[in-house]
Amino acid sequence: METVTKLQKRRPRKPSRIHASEARTAYICLIPAFLGLIFLTYLPLAGVLGISLTNWTGLKSPEFIGLDNYIKLFTTDPYIKDSILATLYFAGLSVAGSMVYSLFIAMLLNRKIPARSFFRAVFYVPYVLPATAIYVGWSWLYEGNFGFFNYLLSELGLNKILFIADSSYVVPSLSLISVWLAGNLIVIFLAGLQNVPVVYHEAAEMDGANGWKRFLHITLPCMTPIIFYNLLMSLIANLQIVTPALALTNGGPGNSSRFLTYLMYDQAFVNYKLGYACATTLIIFAILAVFTTVLFKTSGRWIFNEGGDDK
Amino acid sequence: MSVAAYGRLKSKKRRTRTMNILTFAVVVVFALIAFFPIWWIFRTSLMTNAEIYRYPPSLIPDKWLFSNYEKTLEIFKFWKYLWNTMVIITPSCLAGTFTATLCGYAFARLRFRGKSLLWALCVGSMLLPAMVTLIPLYIGWTRGLGFNDSYWPLILPYFCGGGAFNIFLIRQFIVSIPRELDQAGTIDGAGYFRILFSIIMPAIRPAMIVVALFIFIGLWNDLLQQMIYINSSDKYTIALGLTNFRGQLKSDWPLTMAATCLSFAPGVIFYLIGQKYFVEGITLTGLKN
Repeated sequence: METVTKLQKRRPRKPSRIHASEARTAYICLIPAFLGLIFLTYLPLAGVLGISLTNWTGLKSPEFIGLDNYIKLFTTDPYIKDSILATLYFAGLSVAGSMVYSLFIAMLLNRKIPARSFFRAVFYVPYVLPATAIYVGWSWLYEGNFGFFNYLLSELGLNKILFIADSSYVVPSLSLISVWLAGNLIVIFLAGLQNVPVVYHEAAEMDGANGWKRFLHITLPCMTPIIFYNLLMSLIANLQIVTPALALTNGGPGNSSRFLTYLMYDQAFVNYKLGYACATTLIIFAILAVFTTVLFKTSGRWIFNEGGDDK
Repeated sequence: MSVAAYGRLKSKKRRTRTMNILTFAVVVVFALIAFFPIWWIFRTSLMTNAEIYRYPPSLIPDKWLFSNYEKTLEIFKFWKYLWNTMVIITPSCLAGTFTATLCGYAFARLRFRGKSLLWALCVGSMLLPAMVTLIPLYIGWTRGLGFNDSYWPLILPYFCGGGAFNIFLIRQFIVSIPRELDQAGTIDGAGYFRILFSIIMPAIRPAMIVVALFIFIGLWNDLLQQMIYINSSDKYTIALGLTNFRGQLKSDWPLTMAATCLSFAPGVIFYLIGQKYFVEGITLTGLKN
């Protein structure tokens, strides 16, 4: 007992000498992160807030106009409402679709099948291809007359659809591409599935639970932390969608694919309304914040914590 | 074992066998569907204009017209775009991986004042969507520092830790290495940097490769930032070049698809090289959270 207290007493003194050089090393190592946090993250964040309160166009020096940009956005802006709806519609479809698709494929790949790494590569490869090329390539599959999907429709005796050139089909069509691109979610799900204890399944099988029941009562609860992570990542990515609008649709037809990030791009870099665009940015930020907060707040209720060993 | 029980076991075995064959069939069907768009794009890139408009369309070109690629390369300056893209990606990957490792090491192993605050700021910035800071950064790079039509605004951020997400990844990896390993170094009289370079770095090489891969994909896909920072066409990256090419040749689908396939190629090659680490790294990001 005595030795313990002695050790504890002596302890702070000895490392304190190490501490100086240790801390010095740490600060040197952290110079890049420090610069990044200040100049690339928190200062620009303050900048967005500040600029959104001005009428800056980049030409004249900015004037402080209070909340005018926000008022204008919510009262007279012709695009913002369509833009928010298009973004939510796209994100909803894409997140739901890619979660179901990737969990399903991951469960298939988790079984004992031959050439597993080959199949994993097939599902994963779309993710490493440049997004722009993916969208350009798919635009040919979606072509209004001779595209592959229209061939399928005509074989089924249905009317042709313009897909990305039709305002009511453009968002679902782009979402389908998003689902197809969800290879990274599959890999994460697959890793999670391999961590589900086999004993649970064996015990349930002994009790006569069928495959569906085992999925519902064992796989799904054990997977909730992974589902949460994938849901969060996919939501953040899909709410910020911009590449298809830049590469293919230019926000059209009409405003049907004028996603919020594209709207911001258009305001800032096409029309040079920097102050106004910053106000739009903060709306996107607010939407993202609401979704992430809801996800985190409700997570306690549906995330299953196995044995409470969370660190 | 009774005969009945043996029979049950046998029938169960047979059932799992059928189940496995069934699963395999489903996997094959889905893999074909998932691969189909890529095949369709590739087969179009080898066809004549008349052939792609034929009804019913064929899965395989009559004649494999590799001359389409020659024609494409005359307009779509693929090698130049690839070079430009690599000029951005190479320093970014190296610097991003290196600085992320430095920062991850400090957060994982070293004790210093203000650590928890800095760590909280770092993790907090992970939830900050990238596009929120886009406009102020654009103003800073172009107005403040005068980088117009330049690659620096795309590269320099990676000299600052390569993003909080990558720092986080490296830190998680270092934490999982037993401390005894670097204590052995301390006893031998190695300094903190020596420990980092000769003990930690070799041990976390997979994580470093993964970070480099993530930076690669991130830059590869970032059409928006390339669009706002790069103006002149001789500085175009693959993504910009392809967008522009599509605008020029709207109706010539075989050539557009040939350009698309060319843009696919580096990604596929790159995946085949890094496959093992890719899966490992993605697994890591998913689980150690």
